[in-house]
Amino acid sequence: MATTTPTMNRPMNLGASAADHLDRVDALAKVTGAAKYGRDRYLPGSLFAALIRCPWGSAELLSDNAAEVGKLAGVVEIKISRREGTYHGRDVGYVLADSVVALKRAMNALKLEWKRREVKTRIEDTVKEPPAINEDAKKVLDAAAKKLSAVYSTPVQTHSSLETHGCVVDHRGDSATVYASTQGTFAFRDGLDEALKLKGSDFEIVCEYVGGGFGSKLGGPGKEGLNAARISAARGKPVYLFVNREEEHLDTGNRPSSMTFAELAFENDGTITGGQILTFGGVGVARGGGGCDVPSGRYNFGDLRRAHTDVSFNAGGPRAMRAPGKPQGAFAEELMLDEVALACNVDPLELRMRLARSGNHKEMMKAGAKLIGWANRIPTGTQTGTIRRGMGVGLCSWGLFPARAEGEVVIYRDGSVEARTGTQDIGTGQRTIMGVVAAEAVGINPDEVRCSIGSSKLPVGPGSGGSVTAPNTAPPMRAAALDAKNKLLTIIAKELNVEASALEIVKGEVLRGGQRVMSFKDACQRITGDSITGRSDAAKVDTSGKGHSDGVQFVELSVDTETGVIHLHNVVALQSCGRVLARKTAESQIIGGVIQGLSYALFEQRVLDRVTGAMVNANLESYKILGPKDMPHITPVLWSKGQTKVCSLGEPPVIPTAGAVACAVLNAIGAPVRSLPITPAKVLAALAGVGGKKNEDGGAR
Amino acid sequence: MAEGVSRRSFIKTAGLSAAATMGPGMVEVALTVNGAARKVKIDPAATLLETLRVDCNLTGAKEVCDRASCGACSVLVDGKLVCSCMMLALDAQGCAVTTVEGLVGADGKPDAVQAAFIKHDALQCGFCTPGFVIAARALLNVNPKPTLAEIKGALAGNICRCGAYTNIFNAVLEASGQAVVADGG
Repeated sequence: MATTTPTMNRPMNLGASAADHLDRVDALAKVTGAAKYGRDRYLPGSLFAALIRCPWGSAELLSDNAAEVGKLAGVVEIKISRREGTYHGRDVGYVLADSVVALKRAMNALKLEWKRREVKTRIEDTVKEPPAINEDAKKVLDAAAKKLSAVYSTPVQTHSSLETHGCVVDHRGDSATVYASTQGTFAFRDGLDEALKLKGSDFEIVCEYVGGGFGSKLGGPGKEGLNAARISAARGKPVYLFVNREEEHLDTGNRPSSMTFAELAFENDGTITGGQILTFGGVGVARGGGGCDVPSGRYNFGDLRRAHTDVSFNAGGPRAMRAPGKPQGAFAEELMLDEVALACNVDPLELRMRLARSGNHKEMMKAGAKLIGWANRIPTGTQTGTIRRGMGVGLCSWGLFPARAEGEVVIYRDGSVEARTGTQDIGTGQRTIMGVVAAEAVGINPDEVRCSIGSSKLPVGPGSGGSVTAPNTAPPMRAAALDAKNKLLTIIAKELNVEASALEIVKGEVLRGGQRVMSFKDACQRITGDSITGRSDAAKVDTSGKGHSDGVQFVELSVDTETGVIHLHNVVALQSCGRVLARKTAESQIIGGVIQGLSYALFEQRVLDRVTGAMVNANLESYKILGPKDMPHITPVLWSKGQTKVCSLGEPPVIPTAGAVACAVLNAIGAPVRSLPITPAKVLAALAGVGGKKNEDGGAR
Repeated sequence: MAEGVSRRSFIKTAGLSAAATMGPGMVEVALTVNGAARKVKIDPAATLLETLRVDCNLTGAKEVCDRASCGACSVLVDGKLVCSCMMLALDAQGCAVTTVEGLVGADGKPDAVQAAFIKHDALQCGFCTPGFVIAARALLNVNPKPTLAEIKGALAGNICRCGAYTNIFNAVLEASGQAVVADGG
């Protein structure tokens, strides 16, 4: 059961939601270790499986010692089903053992002899020269007062979910239970019937807790689920298959790399008249999915020619990652705006106020500028000290997308209330907001509702992607709760010989004409059976898909021009999401998006060996993610004035951050770093390019 | 064994030849976990993390990186903060091991650190949370009133991918009876 403990440290957000001080309902289970994730399900008699992977970007398997390793104690089976791989991490078979240790021992003992082949590892291996400028764009550029010609690039970012991909499959002959780490309980079910040789109704996907996903766990059971299901079905034993950290980096998706070639024409006041923006997405062995969203549509870019091409090479392919295609595009877009502003000697915030299309964004920019102290921003290129301060700003937006969702609310005779949806909670607070919505509609406190989620036996709900869960599950859950309440009030009305519409439930009391009739608990005791169940009626739920979430972020940082190291100081993140359901979890979504954006801006990059195609940093010590010591102060601002509809929240806060960081760096050092991550080496190189100090040997310091 | 190779790394990563010659298979170890004595039969190569999770059904400590770079498997061994993925269960014999489950009081009430994590929503997916809770408890045990900088330093061995750091810092300040970092009006 949830608790309510007031926090007063973010006064500007107080009153944003009906449940301002409600704690995350599953927080107690998570802080005490009681929460059982898929990875925590060790069933008696389990077999443990691991996938065998190609260690090079492209290679042929010449020989193996599988027969020898298969004889080791505890090893049940070794199967090699492919003898080549076209990216590092391509699965070619599996090892099955009767314990964790035996599995690790077998994997270590397995010696595979590979013959490497030539590889491509980057967009630049295919796009070797800047693309030609379109004739129409050329006319616009020729007529321009000023021009910007620049190339922006972003690296591959891995999702790095802390709970790796996988599941435990317990096949019992005519039924099965699958403990999955997934963002799509129902997609997981729908992809598993063949492998289990069972109908979807004969098995259950259980996903009570998920240790992160960020988009990578959306697409059904994947190779982990399919392998575990087939093995469990064949052997009639539970099979535990979770990939390790290295495999998680290699073969569970990523945010694809990007290159943006911009040729912009603009007036002396910064008004952009058009030009050409060509983007490329680096999609590994995939054929698509590398979108790079620039221009985003948030600014007026004039008469622009635009094209995108995905480029394949020898690496694991992309999957949707929090706001797919958007942060890489926003990085290029925001930085090119600041470069235009610098060329025109215009304040970049003022330029955005002129170019932004949405009045909402303009209002948020004004409010955010006050919070970050934009008036104290030092003009670009005027600082000479070793430590130089910078400020940057970026915008984001996200739509509202329909998804199929149903809900049930059960009122029990003992007075307890259960909200039921099969949708999973990947950390967004889905379980919490379901309770808030049901409680409000019934007329009781949120901490009196138990939420059952994360099971394919519960009412259908969407995958946690595209920020669709809250907007699409809240209306049916509300409808189900109202239905349950009406059924209860009908029982009471009969007893009192009044119309049900004359009764209401407020704060756990049944009222008639504002006067207390009985408590909610007493009312529940009049239920004749064990319980009454309210259901959503899909036809009556508004899924019009209209709604918009906007955001603006400001970043303040300083750059050490001796070392190139960037120190983050403050981030102000204003974000609208329609009606806020639970303040604390909403604030956490914004803060989390910002942190992932900062991490993307400064640290994260998949590094592939250009000769072998192997990822050289497939771990968490050299694939650097922003940690506690890197943290600035972050101010999340819920922009919720006058909103009635529940809109998207999870995706948008990650979009503008890296762009705002890049703009702040430009402001500090007077030269743009057009490539993420903005490492000390790139900062020093940028400084050297604008007359920064040089070492005696001529290299940048 | 080459100099610089620890017993743990040798046994944990031992290959085919070592596996064949390593000896008698399962061994019984006596552990003291969260105040209770436990006897479990394990493979001598099993880490403390595996033993806690698989054999003791204490799954609060998580395997995330399996090489001490994320802190998700943190436990206290004789009061000291340890990555349980880097310690053999055999080596934990005779020591008092405390996991995140063990911080809950006999009355079922969460520890002050756990309560503050709940209050400040210092978690999202929750997978890193047990590690952060243990690391924060280890800090407060030796430094009851840490500064924000000291908190960041003490938690630097832990990673949270969802991005709960801001609220984690506030939770640790709260648990130590100090004012949390507030945002202006």
